[in-house]
This record gives sequence, C-alpha cells and structure tokens, in this order.
Amino acid sequence: MSSSSIEIEPIQLTAERAEVMSQRRIKKHHVAIVLVHWFNATTWLLELATGSGLVVSPQYRFMPVWYLQMMEGIFGSRANMLRFHIAAGLTWVTVFLVYAIFGFRNYLKMEVLQREIGLDRDDFRWLKTRTLHLFGRSREPLPPQGVYNAGQKLFALLVYAAIPLIMLTGLIMAFHWFGTTVVAWAMLIHLLAVGLVVSGLMIHIYMGAVFPEEKPAFYSMITGMVDELYAYRHHFKWWRDVKLQEQAWMAKLGEQHATPPPHPDAAPAQVDQAVTHQPKPAE
Amino acid sequence: MDSKITRRGFLKTTSLAAAVTGATAGSSAELRPPAWRGDTRVQQIATNCEMCFWRCGVMAEVADGKVVKLQGNPDHPLTKGQLCARGNAGTQLLYDPDRLKYPMIRAGERGSGRFKRVSWDQALDLFASRLTELKKKYGPESVAFFPHGVGAGFFGTLMRAFGTPNSAEPAFAQCRGPRDVGYQLTFGRPVNSPEPVDLEEAKAIVLIGSHIGENVFTSQVTNFITGLQRGAKLIVVDPRFSTAASKADYWLPIKPGTDIALLLAWMNVLIAESLYDKQYIEQYATGMKELEAHVQGFTPEWAEPITEISASRIRETAHVMADVMPAVAVHPGRHVTWYGDDTQRARAMAILTGLLGAYGRKGGMFLPTKLKQGRIPLPPFPDSERGRVDGGGTTYPLATEESQGLTQGLVQATLSAKPYPIKGWIIYGQNVLESIPQRQNTLQAIEQLEFLAVVDVLPVEQTQYADLVLPEATYLERYDPPAFVTTAKRPYVAIRQPAIEPMYESKPGWWIAKQMASRLGLAGYFPWRDPDDHLARLLAPLSVNMTELKSLGAVSFEGHPYIEDRTEQDGPLFPTQSGKIELSSSVLQDLHFDPLPRFTAPDSPPPGFMRLIYGRAPMHSFARTENNSWLNELMAENQVWIHTSSAAKYDVRNGYKVVLENQDGVRSAPLIARVTEEIRSDCVYMVHGFGSRSKALSKAYKKGASDAELITRVAVDPIMGATGMRVNFVRVLAADRS
Amino acid sequence: MPRYAMVIDQERCVGCQSCTVACKSEWDVPNGSARTKVRQTGTVGQFPQLSKAFYVSQCNQCDHPTCVPACPTGATYQDANGLVRIHRDLCIGCGACVAACPYGARYINSSLGKADKCDFCASRVEKGLQPACVATCPAHAKIFGDLEDRSSDVFRMVYRESARRMETTTIAIGPNVYYRGKPEHAELVLVSFAPVPPRTIAPAAIWSSVLNKFIYLAVGATFLGQAVAFFHQLSTGEKQFDE
Repeated sequence: MSSSSIEIEPIQLTAERAEVMSQRRIKKHHVAIVLVHWFNATTWLLELATGSGLVVSPQYRFMPVWYLQMMEGIFGSRANMLRFHIAAGLTWVTVFLVYAIFGFRNYLKMEVLQREIGLDRDDFRWLKTRTLHLFGRSREPLPPQGVYNAGQKLFALLVYAAIPLIMLTGLIMAFHWFGTTVVAWAMLIHLLAVGLVVSGLMIHIYMGAVFPEEKPAFYSMITGMVDELYAYRHHFKWWRDVKLQEQAWMAKLGEQHATPPPHPDAAPAQVDQAVTHQPKPAE
Repeated sequence: MDSKITRRGFLKTTSLAAAVTGATAGSSAELRPPAWRGDTRVQQIATNCEMCFWRCGVMAEVADGKVVKLQGNPDHPLTKGQLCARGNAGTQLLYDPDRLKYPMIRAGERGSGRFKRVSWDQALDLFASRLTELKKKYGPESVAFFPHGVGAGFFGTLMRAFGTPNSAEPAFAQCRGPRDVGYQLTFGRPVNSPEPVDLEEAKAIVLIGSHIGENVFTSQVTNFITGLQRGAKLIVVDPRFSTAASKADYWLPIKPGTDIALLLAWMNVLIAESLYDKQYIEQYATGMKELEAHVQGFTPEWAEPITEISASRIRETAHVMADVMPAVAVHPGRHVTWYGDDTQRARAMAILTGLLGAYGRKGGMFLPTKLKQGRIPLPPFPDSERGRVDGGGTTYPLATEESQGLTQGLVQATLSAKPYPIKGWIIYGQNVLESIPQRQNTLQAIEQLEFLAVVDVLPVEQTQYADLVLPEATYLERYDPPAFVTTAKRPYVAIRQPAIEPMYESKPGWWIAKQMASRLGLAGYFPWRDPDDHLARLLAPLSVNMTELKSLGAVSFEGHPYIEDRTEQDGPLFPTQSGKIELSSSVLQDLHFDPLPRFTAPDSPPPGFMRLIYGRAPMHSFARTENNSWLNELMAENQVWIHTSSAAKYDVRNGYKVVLENQDGVRSAPLIARVTEEIRSDCVYMVHGFGSRSKALSKAYKKGASDAELITRVAVDPIMGATGMRVNFVRVLAADRS
Repeated sequence: MPRYAMVIDQERCVGCQSCTVACKSEWDVPNGSARTKVRQTGTVGQFPQLSKAFYVSQCNQCDHPTCVPACPTGATYQDANGLVRIHRDLCIGCGACVAACPYGARYINSSLGKADKCDFCASRVEKGLQPACVATCPAHAKIFGDLEDRSSDVFRMVYRESARRMETTTIAIGPNVYYRGKPEHAELVLVSFAPVPPRTIAPAAIWSSVLNKFIYLAVGATFLGQAVAFFHQLSTGEKQFDE
C-alpha cells in the first residue's frame, strides 16, 4: 500500500476496520513519563495537603479550622509538617531535575514540546467548538487533534510554567534565598501558581478519572498504551503520524526482505501484537 | 592510691589544700557549680572587668573554651550584678580579629607599620639586650615608662628594679591628679577610685561638670539614681545639657572656666548667712577665719557676670544645699584637668564639702577603711642620683609620689634631652598619642627614641612606631593583681582570674614582666612563682578563704564609712599636718601658692572661635573601645555639638560634616555637626576617643574626629603639673560633602 | 497564669545602652538589629529651658498583637503567659510581621533568615532569673514582673502609680511595656517615637485584597464546572465510548 492510502482527515470507519483498530495498541507514553506522572500526582497530593495545612493565620488561611487541627495532629506539630513539606518538595525538585537532565532530548527539547503541546489552528478551533458543545450551541465535529488535545495542551502549558515557579519559590522560602522581600513575594507567587494549577487539576482529574470518553487516556497513564481506534477518534493527527512512520518503516523492511511482511491493516494473527510508532526490526 | 580517684574527690583535696596554702592545682572554674545556657553546660568564672577602670564584678560564662556571655557578678560587693554596655561587650574585645596576636619586631622605617613576626624568646631577648644597651650608654634613667591599668604594677616593679625613676600615667596629670592633690591638702586623703561619694544617701547632689550617665561607672550610676529616686535635689553645673542636667532640679549652664567663682560665691552665701555647719567646722577644721575673710567679697552678685548665672540662682542653690546638709554630695569629679587652676578648684570643692559638714558624714563623702595588704619582700630598688626628669616634686612641687608622674614632662624631657637624655620608652596599656595633649610633641619625641617597646592588647596608633610590639592577653585571659578597694562602704578585695587560656600567642602581663626580669638579671624582684602564689602573698594578712574568693570573685569586710563609725585602727580622721580639715592650706602657703582658692578668668575665645570641650559617651571608654564591634555599632563616630545660633552664624547645618580648626591652625578630620539647643553658644562639645589613625583598627580607623589632635595648647597647673586641656578654641568650617 | 509586663522608669534611665548590649550578647543578635533599643527623644525647649528623655523600647508583648495575624504560617503566636513568641521552625522570614509591628520591635535575623524579637527572656524567666536587660541595668530602670502578682513592683506601678502605655488614639493594642516618670517625658516619646499603623507588605496586601478571591473563584468555578459535567454525565448515561 502506498502512503496515499493513509487518510488526511478522519473518515467514517467501517465496522471491521474499527474492530481491528480497537484491538491494536499504540504506545503513547514512555514508562518514564508514566512514572513521573504518578510521582508528580502523589507528591502534589501530599504537598497540597501539608501546604494548605501550614497556612493558618486568619488573614491567609483557606482551609477550615478542623482541617488545620487534623493535619497538625497527624504530624504532631506544624513544624514537623513544614519539614515534611520541604522534604517532599526537595525530593520532587530532585526527581524533576534528574528527569529534565536525562530526559531533555526525548521529552523537553523545543521541537518535542512544540509538537506535543504547541497550539496550532486546529487547537484553537477545537477550543472554540468544544466550548460551544458544552453549552449545546454547536453540532460541528471537533477538529483533529495531535497527541494531546488543546485542552490537555493548555493544562500542560500551565503546569510547565507553574512547576518551575513553584519549585523556585519553594526553595526561596525554605532556604531564605535573596532576602526578606524576595521571600515575601515568593510566597505570593507560590500560592498563586499552586492555586491556578489546582483549578486546572479539577478539570484534569475529572477528565482523566471520571469522564467516560477519556477512560483510555487514564489507562494509558498506567499501561503506556492506547488502542488505535481511540487514537483515530481523539488524536487523529498523531495516529496519522504513527501510521506514516509505520509505512516508512515497512517500506524500508520491504527493501530488505524478499517476502513482504503482512500488511498492517490485515487482521493480525494475534490480538495483542503491538506495533510501536518507533520502528523496530521485526524478529 | 585508689586508681579510681574521681574528679570530684580530686577537687575536694585540692580545694582544701587551696584553703590552707593558697595554691590551687586545678582551674578555679570547677569550684563554682556549673550552670546551663540552653542545652549547653557552662562554667561560671568570677573576675573583674577592664573595659574601663572601675573593675566591676563580671561573671564569665565559658563553654568549650569560649566565653559565651558576660554578666555582672551578683556577688560583687560594689556592683552587685550590674554591668554596663562596655562590660557586656567584653567578648568583642576578646574575639576582636584586629587584636595584637604575635610578638613583632619593626621591619621598616619607624612609622611605616611594617613588622616581622618573631617568637617570644626572640622578642624578649631583644628587649633585654636593647635595655641593657641603653643602660650602658645612657644609664638606666634614660628609659621612661608609660603605664596604665591594673597590670602595670608588674612592669612598674621591673622598671624601678631596672633603675629608672621616670614613669607617668595619664591618670595623674591628664585626669584625676588635681582633685587628689586638692582633697589631700584639705582632708589629708586623696579622693581615690571608686570615689567615696555617698550619692545614695545624699539629699542634695552637686555635680560640677561630672556627666554621670554619659560617663558610666556602673555602681556610681546605681547610687546616683538611687539618691535621686529617694528625693535628692540635683544641682548640675555644666555648659552643656548633659544627661545628668536633664535630670537636674537646677541646671546651671555656667560659662566655661568660671567654676571657682561659683564655688566661692556659694561659700560666701553659706558663711554670710551663717548656713554652714558650725559645729562640724569648730570640731574638725582650721582656717575658718581666713576663709571667712577671703570670701567676703565673692558675693553672688560678684559671681553673676563672671559665671553668667544669676545671683538669685546662686543663692537659691546654696540654700538648697544648706537646707539638707550635711547630706550634700559635692562630687569631686574625676577627669578634672581643665583650665590650669584645677587643684585650686578641687580645693574649693573640698572646702565647700567641709563647710557643709559633709566629709565623713552620711550623704556626703564617706571615709575609706583600710585593708591589710600583704607585702612581697623585694630587694631594695636602686636609688637614682639623677632624679626624675618630668619635673614632679621639683618644678611641680606637689607631684611628689612615683605614681604622680607627668606624662607631658617625660615627653618634654625626651625632646629636650634635659636634664639628661631619654632614649627609650616602654609603653604598657597607655595610648600616648590620644591621652597626652600636644600629640605633635609626642610624635616628635618618638622619632628621637632609640628604642620604643609597646605592650598592648589592641594595635593602637603608637604601635606603628614601635620597635617591639608585645601582645598582651585581654583581661578575660589573664591574672592581674587583686583590687584592694578601701573607698567603699564595705572595703573589699576583688580578683581578676582568667576565664580562658590566652588566644593566639598573647601572654599575660605578669608573665611578660617576669620573663623580662629574668633576662635582665632582675628575677629577684619577682620572687613569687605564679599568680596563685602572688595572690596568696598579697592576701595573707586578710586570712581569706581562697576557694570562696575564687568562686565568688570578691570578699568584703567591715567598713567604717562615717565619722561615728571610726575606730582606733582607722587612724586619724583627717591625716593632715594639723590633724584637722585645712580650710586654708598651710602647705600651699609654704610653697607660695594661694592658700585659699582664687578665681582667675580664663582666656576668652578669639572672635569667630568657640571653646572646645569634650567628654564621654556611655558606650565607649576613652579611645579604648571604638574598635569593639558591638560598641562601634552603637556609636561609630562622634559628632560636634554646636548651638543653633552658632550654627546659623557659621552656616553649619545639622547632620552635615564640618571640620574644626583650632587657634593654632590645626584641623580636625571631618565630623558630623549636631546642631542643638543643648549647649552654650560659646562652646562646642565632642566625645573623646574617635578619629583613630590606626589602620589596624579596622572598625575605628578614620571614624569621627579626634579631639586630642585639637588640643595643641595646655594650661599647666603650677602646683602639681596637670595639663588643663579645655583651653583650645575652634572655629567651624564646612567640609566637602563627599 | 502569669501575665508578664515590664515597666521602664524614664527618670532612672540614663541612656547608657547596657541593656542593648546585654541583650545582644544573650541572644546573639546580629549587628544591624536590636531586640531592645535606647533612643534619645528630641529636646524640647530653648536654651536653657530644656527637656529630654530616653525611650527604651522592645517588643511590648501586646494584648492584641498585630503581628500574630500577619504571619502566614502562624510561626508567631501568643503563648499562655501573654508573651508573643516566634516558632523558629515555622518561620520563613517573609517579613510580614516586621511590617505589622507598630513599634518597630521586630527584625529579620540576618544569620538565621527568620524573624526575631524580644521575648522577655522567656527561657531565663522560666529559671527564675530576670531578663538580661533588667539584670544588667545600672540604674535599675527596667522593672519586670507578673501583673497577676499583687505584691509585685509592676502591679503597683501599673495599677497604683499610673505607669502608662505608649499608645495613641489610633494605635492602642495593649502593649505590656509600661512607662513611668514625668508626664512630659512620656509625651516626648510620643512626639518622636509614637507607634505607627501596622503595615501590610505588598505581596500580602495583593493576596488578601485580590488574588485570594481570584483563586477561590478559579478553583471554585472549575470544581463546579466538573461537578456539573459529572451530574450531566450521570443523567445522560455513559456515552458509549465506541460507536
């Protein structure tokens, strides 16, 4: 099959094709990403719980008094809670630093970021259309999305901006860097950044854990895989890229072998045969 | 012997031994129960302070070989646990990074400040060889000694043994000398220190110039405030609105230099209105008739134009005193070398005290009680045929004792080489360039020396000129002779013992002097083995429990402060020639001085000039503490106080820097002008001790301005040689505001 | 429970700074800061009718401290004896409390990076000692004691001898350092060193005036949004994920 047979836009799928696609898996998240995601989530939970338990003065606090007392009881003292908060925070910073240093090429290079979380015209249209859908004001289909949809991209942008700020301001407060005035502003920025991320988290957690359409996304953060049908329906442009890569890989293999390997669209011998979007030589 | 001898058991034996022989094996630190500072165990060592010379009781807290805190010693009989700002800041002297650390020998031009570090052996050998050389070439008298402080005694013995009679402390001719001589002439006793003024019991307190509260001696402040709180009326005579003046019932802003006129007028009132203590005078004094005749013309009206204090005010204050006599404390002052007639002014104050019946009475001045002091038998000191060069005892007839040396006399003799050359100076703890007026002379004299040795704790300016610099340990690291204080209501002995080992290579004075002596073949004059031995010998007649003394820091004895308490052992009430209070001084008469004080007008400032007066600040001691990190923070530089109208006249703005130029054209360093109402318009005031020219004193260097530099003219008291220093006039010039 | 207070006798004080240095030494106060300060008031009058006094100040352990609510982490708190204390382990050194003190009694300790101030030498008092400044004062101008103890000097001075608080009509937060002496001397203090309105540092002001509301709004709105979506989802049944 030639490349021209991979559609440019999503089309109505035949039942057979849909069935086949629903059985096949594409790797969406590298195991490193999965680990970092859950590490991040756990740390955030702990840091939110302890951080919000630390802000006690009437002028600043945002948690009810019973919560503050409960947290103080759990940790024995608020000083202990602060130590825990700083310790967990430092662990968080360290892990991310390691991730950033070792994973820079694969995950944080500008072209990677551009591809994965950069907003294009389809994204802006998606945002508009999705919002209208929410209010029942449009029946237009959503424009095709990349590996992450526009909503996810927005959240990612927020998080990518907020996390370094939260880390830096956290360090400033923990070690009294740059003097009193900077520490005071750091606290404000820390709270602000955390607050914004938390509001984003509301949507992120709902979408990920509760909203049925995105269930595969949730599982992909555990297994690293999504099924192809989901990818076709929700992240078409990424699906297309994967397909093109497969094709190119197949073409290369075709040059090297006498018998062409089976067509990717043919029914697979085994249900769980996996095809990655990073070409690997077959057995 | 039980091999498991415990530390406690060991101490028990040694402390018993201490009580018997007066010697302890271990440090006295263990004898006081340990205390706690937070989680750290600290030893408490009782000693006394030397941030100034009141020697308040100090408790040093030591942990891990570091002094972590100083507090007042509650067991000290005089200061009872109070400690002033300087005393509290003693740790910053101990840990001052600018301290002298190693013996040094000059390695460049004199004054270049280039030195070579040497060992103690090398340093002491050099000292001995240079002194021997000078002795051979010019005789031992060619070496002059400039001491100051408690530890000077060791070096004094050394110098006398060496054979020089030439020794002078600024305490005499630049500070207390005139009043000690004046009071001795009147009552038979010098005033001494701490001054036996019964401030706490007084019903009226009279301060002539004394700025108690800015000059801070802990127990003196305590007693002063106690007296005031008990209702004593306060009369302050001062051209400046001092802290004491701010508490006064009567502030008399007297024209500088006219105090004698005021005192004579007060005497006039007391006598003319028959208000003085007749019975007391009859019983205890002579010369009343002469006094009566003498003061007849010195009415308040006479004094008014002279002093610029109204006659009614003079009368009123005389009445205030008379109303409550004899409980009137006329403070004799401390630094009294002002105008050249200072002995006579002291005489006037003594006479006034006598007229009020206050000497030896409650609320006036109390009497010292003797303390038996052990003598350490020494070989006889060599006699000097050539005699003193400073003029004491000869030119200045009443500066007779060895302790009554005239520093400026030594300087003059060095410059003129008359009556014989002075070629070597040994300085111990004296800051000659700051304390002796006319520093240009002192500098010149130093240039002419063949040998200058300085023993000190801090690298003050004169260190730059020395041939040999020896670092002494601070008072917190050394033993010094104990204080035998007789001028307290309960006389006491207070010890100074080290809290920690000397830092760097500094050594205690006693060790240095002893080492010098042995190298000069004079070891026989230091027959005691070590500090404990020295202390034991001095305290022998008092049968003091050494353990108790070392643990408490001081031991007091019964005192007989008032006339009615006196016993046979206290000796005569008034040890004068006549055995009575000499209102008119026969001694002075015989020496052809005025037997009764006379007023002579001081020179007036030339037009455009104002008189320069100086004093103290409570967070500094003279020029000793300006480099102390904590005290420097409280006051890093001095300012010149100038009255609002004078400031307007000379276009001086508050807070801006000015330069003072004196009558001889000498200019001060720039310093900030403090424009205020708190001073007469004919004088300006600055705190003494600033403007250090020693680069090695990193925090004090070039901060503020030196008043001493502006004191190029002195008025010498003909009776005992004191240099009156309030006879310089300055005009105020704007400084560059950069 | 004791209620500690201090009385400063302005007629006794000579402005010698012994207290400042004793305190600095006791508590390792870095240079540039002071737990207790002695300052001379301005001089009133014209030569020679003059009046001046000294103002000894430190943390007043106020009845209604303005610094306690200003502290975001609650590091500064009022203990059972009425003393305002600082829990060092909870302090981040943001300086909000320093700005909030009308008397300027607090400082950021430059070596610790945390807020610091006088606490009436609480650890000394626990051992039965006087505060360091009180113990050292040569003029006995500082008197410390328990206002609940009717036999104490402070009780007498405050309740029977009209020792007064340095308060103004606008700033009256119940300081527990009282002043006795001539009324004119107390007035001199209020002229030169009256307490000033507590300041809120800029970040705290922005937070409490605008941003906290904004964050509540953002979190609340997104939470509500998701709640609505969830209920919507429940009511319409789970959309088949795969058509």
